[in-house]
Amino acid sequence: MSTKKRYERPIITKYQSGLMNKFGSGPSAKAKTSIDEVAVSKLVEEYGSPLFVMSERQLRNNQQNAIRIFRTRYPKVQFAWSYKTNYLNAVCSVFHQEGSLAEVVSEFEYDKAKLLGIKGSNIIFNGPDKSRAALQKAIKDNAKIHIDHFDELYEIIDLCNSENLKANVAIRVNMDVGVYPLWDRFGFNYENGEAWQAIKRIMSEKSLKLTGLHTHIGTYMMTAEAYRIAASKLASLANSIKREFDIKLDYIDMGGGFASNNTLIGQYLPAEQIIPSMEQYADAISSGMFEMNATGSDLPALILETGRALVDNAGYLITTVLANKRLSTGRRAIIIDAGVNILFTSFWYKHKISPAQESGVHVEDSSLYGPLCMNIDLIRESILLPAVKKGEHLVIEDVGAYAMTQWMQFITMRPNVVMIMQDGTVELIRKSEALNYILDRELLPKQLKLK
Amino acid sequence: MQFFLDSTLYSYAQIFFSNRKWFGAAILVASFSTPLLGLMALLGVLISNLVAYILKFDAEKIRSGFYGFNGILFGASTAFYFELNNLLLLLIPIFIIITFLISAVLEHYLETAFNLPGLSLPFVISVYIFVIFLTNYNFIIPNIHQYGVDSTSSSLTYYMEIYFKSLSLIIFQPEITAGIIIIVAILIFSRVLFVLSIVAFVLNVLLLNFILPNHFDNLLILSSFNSILAAFALGGSLIIPSRKSFMLVILSSLMVVIFTGFFSRLLSGSLFPLLVLPFNFIVLATIYSLKFRKDQTDLVLLYFKPGSPEENFYYHQKRKARFENFKYLFPELPFFGEWKVSQGFNGEHTHKDDWKYALDFVVVDKNNSQYSNEGLKLEDYYCYSLPVTSPLDGEIVRIVSSVRDNEPGDINLQQNFGNTIIISHQYGLFSSISHLKSDSIKVKEGDKIKKGDIIGNCGNSGRSPYPHIHFQFQLNDKIGDKTHLFPISHFIEKENGKTYLRTFAYPKENSIAQNLDVHKTIKDAFDFKIGDKLNFKYELEGKELEESWEVKVDIYNQLYIESSSNAKAEIYLTDKVFYFTSYIGEKNTALYFFYLVAAQVPLCFQEDLYWDDTFSISLLPIGSIRYLAEIFLFYKNMLSTRGEFTFEEDEETQNYFIKSDIIVMGSGLFAFYKKQFNGIVKIDEHDGLKEFEINGDKNLLFKATKTK
Repeated sequence: MSTKKRYERPIITKYQSGLMNKFGSGPSAKAKTSIDEVAVSKLVEEYGSPLFVMSERQLRNNQQNAIRIFRTRYPKVQFAWSYKTNYLNAVCSVFHQEGSLAEVVSEFEYDKAKLLGIKGSNIIFNGPDKSRAALQKAIKDNAKIHIDHFDELYEIIDLCNSENLKANVAIRVNMDVGVYPLWDRFGFNYENGEAWQAIKRIMSEKSLKLTGLHTHIGTYMMTAEAYRIAASKLASLANSIKREFDIKLDYIDMGGGFASNNTLIGQYLPAEQIIPSMEQYADAISSGMFEMNATGSDLPALILETGRALVDNAGYLITTVLANKRLSTGRRAIIIDAGVNILFTSFWYKHKISPAQESGVHVEDSSLYGPLCMNIDLIRESILLPAVKKGEHLVIEDVGAYAMTQWMQFITMRPNVVMIMQDGTVELIRKSEALNYILDRELLPKQLKLK
Repeated sequence: MQFFLDSTLYSYAQIFFSNRKWFGAAILVASFSTPLLGLMALLGVLISNLVAYILKFDAEKIRSGFYGFNGILFGASTAFYFELNNLLLLLIPIFIIITFLISAVLEHYLETAFNLPGLSLPFVISVYIFVIFLTNYNFIIPNIHQYGVDSTSSSLTYYMEIYFKSLSLIIFQPEITAGIIIIVAILIFSRVLFVLSIVAFVLNVLLLNFILPNHFDNLLILSSFNSILAAFALGGSLIIPSRKSFMLVILSSLMVVIFTGFFSRLLSGSLFPLLVLPFNFIVLATIYSLKFRKDQTDLVLLYFKPGSPEENFYYHQKRKARFENFKYLFPELPFFGEWKVSQGFNGEHTHKDDWKYALDFVVVDKNNSQYSNEGLKLEDYYCYSLPVTSPLDGEIVRIVSSVRDNEPGDINLQQNFGNTIIISHQYGLFSSISHLKSDSIKVKEGDKIKKGDIIGNCGNSGRSPYPHIHFQFQLNDKIGDKTHLFPISHFIEKENGKTYLRTFAYPKENSIAQNLDVHKTIKDAFDFKIGDKLNFKYELEGKELEESWEVKVDIYNQLYIESSSNAKAEIYLTDKVFYFTSYIGEKNTALYFFYLVAAQVPLCFQEDLYWDDTFSISLLPIGSIRYLAEIFLFYKNMLSTRGEFTFEEDEETQNYFIKSDIIVMGSGLFAFYKKQFNGIVKIDEHDGLKEFEINGDKNLLFKATKTK
């Protein structure tokens, strides 16, 4: 007996001639029925929908490839996992197992890393907001503190002097690398001499040890050359430090910002065709680094805080079709159970979205809405998708970065997150929220109690 | 005073190639079994050492007994050969000084001219001068002490008596008691020498009776003691004991018989006694001739400061295992990161015959693939275009830079080595790196470069179907010259999923190799510099003790750590690895236990890195089992040692650890024996070396903590 053929309701598509599609990657109707050989339907059955899925194998592959690419180009390379990109313990631990330090930008992230068992000296403490208490903790833990502004520097000096502490510090430097707008709101400027002022101030302070220089030139950088310029400017700063103060820096932290495979909204060409490869970033950075007047073990380590490029393609969001409907224009709209509250990145990415089951070859330009009762809840304005029925699933790809940190509880609860382990087993790594998760935090004044 | 006591006792010990004071004391006691002889011997050593001291000879040499033992022999021999009278008592001290002068000249001359020990030749010469000189006085007649054996039966007791007397006679004692004391002392000092004395004696009895059946009785004793001394020298004291050195002893026993026969005839009718002439002649001739062998890997002559034959054996074994390939240049691998050896020495493709010591390297991913995508483009290959670095400091002497890169799968047989850089290093060593990317070479001929400098990029030029680096050492600046076997000083090798430290070794085919990345904390902890001082406190047998160390350097530029507990340990530091190379002192000092747990430390940090090392059995705290095993040392060393080391890190306390398992294993008769020690060295991120401990059978044996 043959299985019953799937019924698809007929659609009428307007014939469009003469439209440019020379570079188009083509309508993707190819089904994504499994993730790392685990069937999507099975995952939903067990863990519900929507469901975030992380791939351990992909995470490790990404990290190992990045290590290989950088370490074959520069002798001392150290990765630091950017917590804000995805700070689920399971994800962080995979990166730590692969040898990464922790890069944190708040006291909360700092404590999270410590609880995972990361020692202070393996934590890089970045960001403009570090409270006095947080700084004190970090100094005592011997963490790598990257100073963002003079007020923070004075605070650290004051702390060290009043409590007789010694701190390992680096400064964050911003600079013109030919990509605009400049990220000059973070750190000390290179061109106007502010960075050098900060270095001199640190050098005059016995309680501070300048261990490195840090920059982070931007995010989703589409040119590798900018990194070469940045590395070369930091190298020249390091050369000056060596010349003036006879200090060998422990490291140069080039930050992150490497683009992932996601195509930006408003970007015409698909990402894989225009973003630089990891090799190109690595070539650019190492060639800038080698402008340092040092060789062999005197070279400072190169620290990389790449987040997005290491985690984005290891994350998937499985979602279920709630309804199909026609808009007033006759345009097809699909309503799914994952909204912008859990997929914040859909505001700037055209995520790759595929059906999770085989379907017909015909695709239709559709809008994809989330379940929220809010007009902004639009996952994709325009996407070519085959017909999907209520209850069927879609897989949104490359959602490993930022989605699971920027998500919010709004109207709906945040869903389960699972990780498909290297051995093919599936582990729940964050439980979906339930009502009591919200209620636990709430206090109701007595006089407002009903009844 | 201590100095004279030391030099006296060491002088006595020297006669039997020993460096133990207690041994010297035992011989001193033995020499007093005929008090007059003992007194004269003592006079000999005291005068010799005093003169050497007044004349300001090297104090360390005087202390070691180097100048004293000929004086002992001479002093004893005077009373042995002559009835003492006032005139003689006046003359003897003068002749002891003469003996000293002869030994100073002769030892020095033999050492510098032939690199040979002086042995007791000075004593022989000086006795001969003495004997002839005394013929000026017709009233002085030799009155030789009786040293023959009374009974003439061929019973066991007869031969035992001869055996003991032979030993006694070495220090001119006619009494059997002296021989018994000597052999007990020898047994305690060295099982090897004990076995040798018996073997040499038995052989000598058999051979003498066979070759010279009509010899007189005294000749048996004379040739026996020469034979025993020669066996000591050739079997274990001047040559590292081995099965071959045992064979040499058999040969030397035969020669002793021949030369005793020869010298006794030569000297018969003259005034000259035979003394230790055969021993000196045979040992010097044998050792000298051995120096001219092309291959010196067996019958190894002592090349270090001697201990007991056993200690010499262990030291040599350890040194061979650790530093067999040691060279004074420390080349590293010519790239950054992890590369796979795609073709090793004697490889199946091109590393054959004159080019067998070459290495090919590529980069692979974790699926062991050399490329991404389909591998149809050069850019798909991970290693293509990667930087290539200089393995050592040097000067660029030759460059080929403009050969076109082949498409994947093609080869260029016209320009076999493709784009190539040849670098000249120190000591006539050259390295050559080939198949570089077209026009990627960043240096020019004549450039001086440092180890680790980028010199070009990996490519696919020449006889290279797929991008790779061809790397070889050679002794010439010619492209494609014969390869030269030269070790990479240190690298990390991944093999079968485990990561090992390799030192002075050769990367193996299909293994993944990378350079060591110096870790600041570990380096700072072990970067001992002259003048560094460290203090430790520890508890031993219920007592709180302290010990301080200071790093010093000797005239040979050898760094060593000296402890307040009178111990001394030599250390060696390359740019990336720390080694302890020796330890001298008691086995209960902090330095001793540190020597065990930090025998070798790479100055990097990698949590899954393993390395191993060997120890001298005599330097392990294993008690008396080894004395038993040493009886069989000539046949086989039945106890082996191995130290396995690894790093660990404690995230919470921010400490690094070096953990070690030190294992002593028996084999053969001693297969039942196994003992294990576990060591931990704790290194603090700020304070460096913090504490170390060693456990045996899960009991804490020792733990020391650094104090300010």
